[in-house]
Amino acid sequence: MHIPDGFIDAPTAVATGVAAAGVVAYSLRRTGRDMHERSVPLLGVTAAFVFAAQMLNFPVAGGTSGHLIGALLAMVLLGPWAGVLVMTAVLVVQALVMADGGITALGANLLNMAVAGGLLPFAVFALLRRILARNVTGFLAAVAVSSWCAVVLASAAAALELAASGTVPPSVALPTMVAVHMIIGLGEALITTTVVAAVLASRPDLVKTFPSNLKPPATAPALGRRGRALTFTGAALILALALAVFVSPFASSSPDGLERVAEEKGFAEAALEEPVWAGSPLPEYVFPGIANDRVATALAGLVGTLVLFALVFLLGRAVRGRPAPGSQ
Amino acid sequence: MHLHGPHPEPVSPAEYPGVLGRLDARAKIVALVGFVVVVVTTPADAFAAFALYGLVLSFLVGLAHMPLRLLGRRLLLIMPFVVVVAVFLPFFHRHGAGSLSVGPVTMDVGGLLILFNVTVKALLAVTATSVLLHTTGISSLLAGLERLRVPRVFVLMVSFLHRYSFVVGEEFRRMRTAMDSRNYRARWLWQGGVLGRMVGALFVRSYERAERVHLAMVSRGYCGAAPPTAGLPLSLWDGAFMAAVLLLAVSIRVAGPYVGA
Repeated sequence: MHIPDGFIDAPTAVATGVAAAGVVAYSLRRTGRDMHERSVPLLGVTAAFVFAAQMLNFPVAGGTSGHLIGALLAMVLLGPWAGVLVMTAVLVVQALVMADGGITALGANLLNMAVAGGLLPFAVFALLRRILARNVTGFLAAVAVSSWCAVVLASAAAALELAASGTVPPSVALPTMVAVHMIIGLGEALITTTVVAAVLASRPDLVKTFPSNLKPPATAPALGRRGRALTFTGAALILALALAVFVSPFASSSPDGLERVAEEKGFAEAALEEPVWAGSPLPEYVFPGIANDRVATALAGLVGTLVLFALVFLLGRAVRGRPAPGSQ
Repeated sequence: MHLHGPHPEPVSPAEYPGVLGRLDARAKIVALVGFVVVVVTTPADAFAAFALYGLVLSFLVGLAHMPLRLLGRRLLLIMPFVVVVAVFLPFFHRHGAGSLSVGPVTMDVGGLLILFNVTVKALLAVTATSVLLHTTGISSLLAGLERLRVPRVFVLMVSFLHRYSFVVGEEFRRMRTAMDSRNYRARWLWQGGVLGRMVGALFVRSYERAERVHLAMVSRGYCGAAPPTAGLPLSLWDGAFMAAVLLLAVSIRVAGPYVGA
């Protein structure tokens, strides 16, 4: 995720650099108001923690792994503006000491990880906390969803910057990067939520955004069998919906394998002349009555995925509800 | 305070190797960051310019007495990004740029030029920053940044980040050893929760340790001010180094596009 020098061209580097400098200057002013130079060491240790956590690879599947961004984690722990400073410090040290992320790409990396992957999802977090139940579960659910958003938004921002620099083609890079990070984001969400839950269990005062009138959990919550199943289903549904909405509009418009063969062998017309079900509500995967092609495809994907999920869910209930013969 | 980390630093600047080790941090920051900026703005097809930049840098690497294995390890870091761009190569279709076939793979010349552009610039930039760090060290580097008017709170924070990263890193290594000795290895996404609780414990442990240190510092009169850094003015050598590196870079940048043509 750390873009090296050279991958961002000069105009993009200047634009992102100016924007990032503005965000950092504003954050310095905001944190300066309620923080003395005296408490800088405590900010420093949180930055060191994020720095170490970024080196932690979590498993995705089999042997592949992703690493934490940690911007949202820092913001939940310290508040948004101190979180921006922590991420800036982390990125500066990575660029200078580890040669991870370029010096001229510092602004771009900062926009990705502290703004697109930090302030924006923090806004999502703040919004979710108004909507969701005001208890620990609601708080942790807001952390989970917004940290997933953080990874996806950060990858989208990186893809856009690389595309603006002419380094990668935008029409391919954006959906590819976003699709891959939708899966990596699940790991970030899982780890960020358990980290916040574990800290809440022992030192709730260290989570600055946690309302003091709420009762923190007595132990780090562990998911039971049912909880795990629910989490897995929820994550899978969110992932499928997100893929359908964000990625399907950019999918190849070439015919799929069967259609291609049908066209070559000349039986495509045979199929077209007499569709089995003329009343399909979403013909050719496009939502009717919407002018914009991509929006129409995205909507069709959303509706299709929801309907499919409901069907499979009901089917599963029906199959499970019938007692197996001879079980009693 | 003495730090036992993975990269222990020489205590006095005199221990940094070579002629470059004796220069002021500010001069090296301005010269090498300026060099990187000039490299990044060079057009992709000025091949001669990139060769000349490489020549200047290899001279500096020699002056810095830099072990080539260390440099090689750092250069490998950019490989993931090179692969990302290489994967997108078949999708570049610049009209009229022509295409190149190697066996079954057909590549676009415009795409290849982009791959060359980003790779060579990233390699040059990583080499330049490595020379800067290797001859300066993080504490003089931060002192130099502060004297270049980077906000003081920020410099302080980065220096605490650097110090505490060793503490947190060692704490993490202890937890990892404990996990390994119990034969646990997370392989699948849903096992990530265990790592999450580990990281949570890591945060509380390192934070509480930092709190104790912080209270001790405050009780000894710490009020946010770091000891003032030695305020020597830039010497003639510092100025000469800055001027030489920047002048070379700019003249290569200006003349480069005409040399190949």
